[in-house]
Amino acid sequence: MRALDKKLFRDVWRMRLHAAGVALVLGCGLSVLVMAVGMRGSMERTRAVYYVERHMADLAVSLVRAPERIARQLAEAPGVQAVEARVSGVALLDLPGVDEPPSARLVSLPRDGRPRVNDLTLARGRWPDPARAEEILLSQAFADANRIEPGDRLAATMYGRRQTLLVVGVANSPEFVFVAAPGELFRQAGRFGVIWMGREALARAYDLDGAFNDAVFILGRNANPAETIAAIDRILDPYGSTGAYGRDRMISDRFLSEELRQLSTMATFIPALFLITAAFLVNIALGRVIATERSNIGLLKAFGYSNAAVAWHYAKSALIFAAIGAFLGSAAGIALGRAVADLYRDYYHFPRLDFAASPATFVGAWTAGFAAALAGCLVSVLRAARLAPAAALTPPRPTAFFAANGGLASFAAKLDAKSRIIMRRIVRFPRRAGTTALGVAFAMALLVVARTFPAEMDYLLDVNFGVANRQDITLTFAEARDQGVLHHVERLPGVLYAEPFRVDDIVFRHNGRTVHEAVFGVPQTARLSRVVGANQNPIPPPIAGVALARALADKLDARPGDEIRIEQTRGQRIATRVRVSAIVEPMIGSSAYMELNALSRLLREPGRISGAHLVMDSSQLKLFNLAIKRIPTIAGASYIGQAEASMRREFEEGVGVMNYIYAAFAAIMAGGVAFSAARITLAEQERDLATLRVLGFTRIEVSYILIGELLALALLAVPAGIALGTLLAIWLMQLFQTDMYAFPFVFNPSGYAFAIAFTLACVAAAAFVVRRGVDKLDMIGVLKARD
Amino acid sequence: MINATPSDQPAPLFALRGICRTYGEGETAVRALIDVDLDIYAGELLVLLGPSGSGKSTLLNILGALDRPSAGDLAFQGASLTNISDHALTQFRRKHVGFIFQFYNLIPSLTARENIELVGEITENPLDAQEALELVGLGNRLDHFPSQLSGGEQQRVAVARAIAKRPAVLLCDEPTGALDVKTGVRVLEALQEVNERHGSTTLIVTHNADVARMGARVIRFGDGRVRSVETNAQRTPPSQLVW
Repeated sequence: MRALDKKLFRDVWRMRLHAAGVALVLGCGLSVLVMAVGMRGSMERTRAVYYVERHMADLAVSLVRAPERIARQLAEAPGVQAVEARVSGVALLDLPGVDEPPSARLVSLPRDGRPRVNDLTLARGRWPDPARAEEILLSQAFADANRIEPGDRLAATMYGRRQTLLVVGVANSPEFVFVAAPGELFRQAGRFGVIWMGREALARAYDLDGAFNDAVFILGRNANPAETIAAIDRILDPYGSTGAYGRDRMISDRFLSEELRQLSTMATFIPALFLITAAFLVNIALGRVIATERSNIGLLKAFGYSNAAVAWHYAKSALIFAAIGAFLGSAAGIALGRAVADLYRDYYHFPRLDFAASPATFVGAWTAGFAAALAGCLVSVLRAARLAPAAALTPPRPTAFFAANGGLASFAAKLDAKSRIIMRRIVRFPRRAGTTALGVAFAMALLVVARTFPAEMDYLLDVNFGVANRQDITLTFAEARDQGVLHHVERLPGVLYAEPFRVDDIVFRHNGRTVHEAVFGVPQTARLSRVVGANQNPIPPPIAGVALARALADKLDARPGDEIRIEQTRGQRIATRVRVSAIVEPMIGSSAYMELNALSRLLREPGRISGAHLVMDSSQLKLFNLAIKRIPTIAGASYIGQAEASMRREFEEGVGVMNYIYAAFAAIMAGGVAFSAARITLAEQERDLATLRVLGFTRIEVSYILIGELLALALLAVPAGIALGTLLAIWLMQLFQTDMYAFPFVFNPSGYAFAIAFTLACVAAAAFVVRRGVDKLDMIGVLKARD
Repeated sequence: MINATPSDQPAPLFALRGICRTYGEGETAVRALIDVDLDIYAGELLVLLGPSGSGKSTLLNILGALDRPSAGDLAFQGASLTNISDHALTQFRRKHVGFIFQFYNLIPSLTARENIELVGEITENPLDAQEALELVGLGNRLDHFPSQLSGGEQQRVAVARAIAKRPAVLLCDEPTGALDVKTGVRVLEALQEVNERHGSTTLIVTHNADVARMGARVIRFGDGRVRSVETNAQRTPPSQLVW
């Protein structure tokens, strides 16, 4: 080993605490980078392989009823490689030992063999015997949540008929990786499942013998999806088709894509903060090293080492820090990725999901680490390169301080001498003070962001359950019914108040744009399920015209006053024009809203309702549940209170873990920066502080200079951290915003207070650790030593 | 042993008896001070003279409560300093001792005036900063930072800082070591002035035999021991010193 490299390793060993700080901060950032990018790749690969292996549909369509022979026409449509014509429906289930009846989507299995499209993976049990009508497969998430095993029985009310079914197997399908009840955007694994059963039995139950009401397609390699959709729509139009659609409207795939997008966001935002902080730390540490190594630098140059060789020598120490950090980050990233893969696998029931980060991911992570280190050391290394050998060999001039002017001067005049020392150092070394404060501000911003998420979620749930949906239960009928049915609903045990609603699938068209969405008919005097207007306040539904959720209005490029075209996809398939009367802010979903009777009139079905929202006497719930299990016309019952509780629980659990992780990240960031800055401050001021001790200042008084500087910088970091955190939170909320959720920024004072208090505490802790150096100051040495 | 105590003096400010200071243990032990007996009286200007490693600075450190003797007794105004806590030693330095260092040790981020006010903040009834600076001839350099002052000026600010708390004892470790003759003389003049006007007991550690001529008593050190104590019958004013 060359002598200079030996020196390099000894230098790094001498700087090991700084190196550890840099490596930890870098490690945190790169671990998230490796995890998120690797996870995204793994998920994408898993999804792609899963979709190919299980023949995930490219297109889907639902219709009222088409005779079997039409399926052959569909198979011959341009671009179609495979088609599976199915019977599909929704049923209310009666599970032994479960009071509140959950619902399930029922999907038929082909008579002969496995589905050609949307094939299943059997997790447990066996395939149903086509000869036995009662045998079914159950989706794994639902079976697990309700502890149902092959061999168990359950009852289902299908199209008004109650049937007992035998679970023979538990399965997963690429079509239902994410399952949510129709119209709901949150998953409640135990409340909504999927049942696959024999085509004959299901067709019988839904009066669809020799017919189908749902079809899924795989496209050929060179298919033009738009052309195929048009062909399918032409074929199925007479059969009540609601229009074929691609994966972009398949809920499960949309959620997976959303998850992948969030991983990408995470892969950018968190590592970026850490990489910049690591660069700051390198800047602080190398700046100090090169200042103390002036004479060595002069010596090396006097020996004949070139400027470039000297610069490279010092840059290498930064690269060693980065290498340690990149190694730690890679290892932690793999561990983190494996843990997250386990979570995803369990959540989505992928047949397998192995975390594997590609070599490119690691190359990217290491490159980012080295780039951060090089950026951090650039200024110091250039200074070393520029130092003339003669200048380097003479002792440095004492640091020159200058009197402040204006406001700062009068502020300084009010301070005691010790505080003035602190203030003058901050003013004298603005770049270092700035990097320290900014590093602390980053930690604070990270916490502000971390605390904004749960606040957003809380707010979203508050609005959804406190303003928009205040009912205890929502009953959905299997088919739209006459309003008179409300009297029967009101007489069910425990029902205190029932509010009707109507929902229709609609194709909206405006300015050449087409969007499929639901329109809700809401009574003028709605008390339970209400339309949410500006600032999340309830507003009455428009009597004339339609109110559009902001996301829907954006997609349609529609403004209040515009006339848009609406086409009913079922029933009489009314097509008409209607004026946009308002843009509303429901936060969840992107539907349209009208006054109930106005909607019924518009669709020429006066007095028809799709279901009812209920206020319940909770003591009568058991009787109510028993009653609805026996009512054939009820397709589903959403227990809103339960849903809210389970959602809040799920969020809190998730948020709890994330909060710990973010707090640990912020502690490493703030602690690392403060620790480095404190050590440099101590090293630079060792002589001054020891002098003060000799002059009779106590340890506490001397410590004040050290700790005070850091805390002053941390306090300066507060406004920056708050501003940065707020901007980042707003930006991230916008990134996370989809047509399913809208997030207005929520100001969360306790989150800010926590971010400030926690970060300051981390800085204080780091300062107090370094403060022990004050106890070890060499008072005798300082009498003789020269700067 | 040389009796280093004149007999016709009142009670001493410092009384040292059998003071030893050993660094390290076993074969590598270094005996920096060996069995020193010495009385130092209020208002004296004492010069401790000796080559490097002779023990003079070690004694200064012990008198300034920066170090503790390994053996022996040290009393200040009759109270023992030998077995008191670190905190009490700090309080002793704070109340009674003014230090002047070879390399000035001014706080670079404070002006001349502020360096003096800094000490004033921990002292009861300190000297006004301006008055202290005028005493050392720097009344016109009040608001200069150390980096804007010459070496001699910085050392005179250090003298002003040391006397600002009206210390009972002024300990000067090679105060002219880093200065040329001319500026060194100005510093010594300032020290003598302070000694005469404020009556602070002043101990100057030096290896410069010429400086010794300004002291009332000169204590010579060699190999950790007091080799001689001389009283200057005729003290030389600093302005006449040459080295």
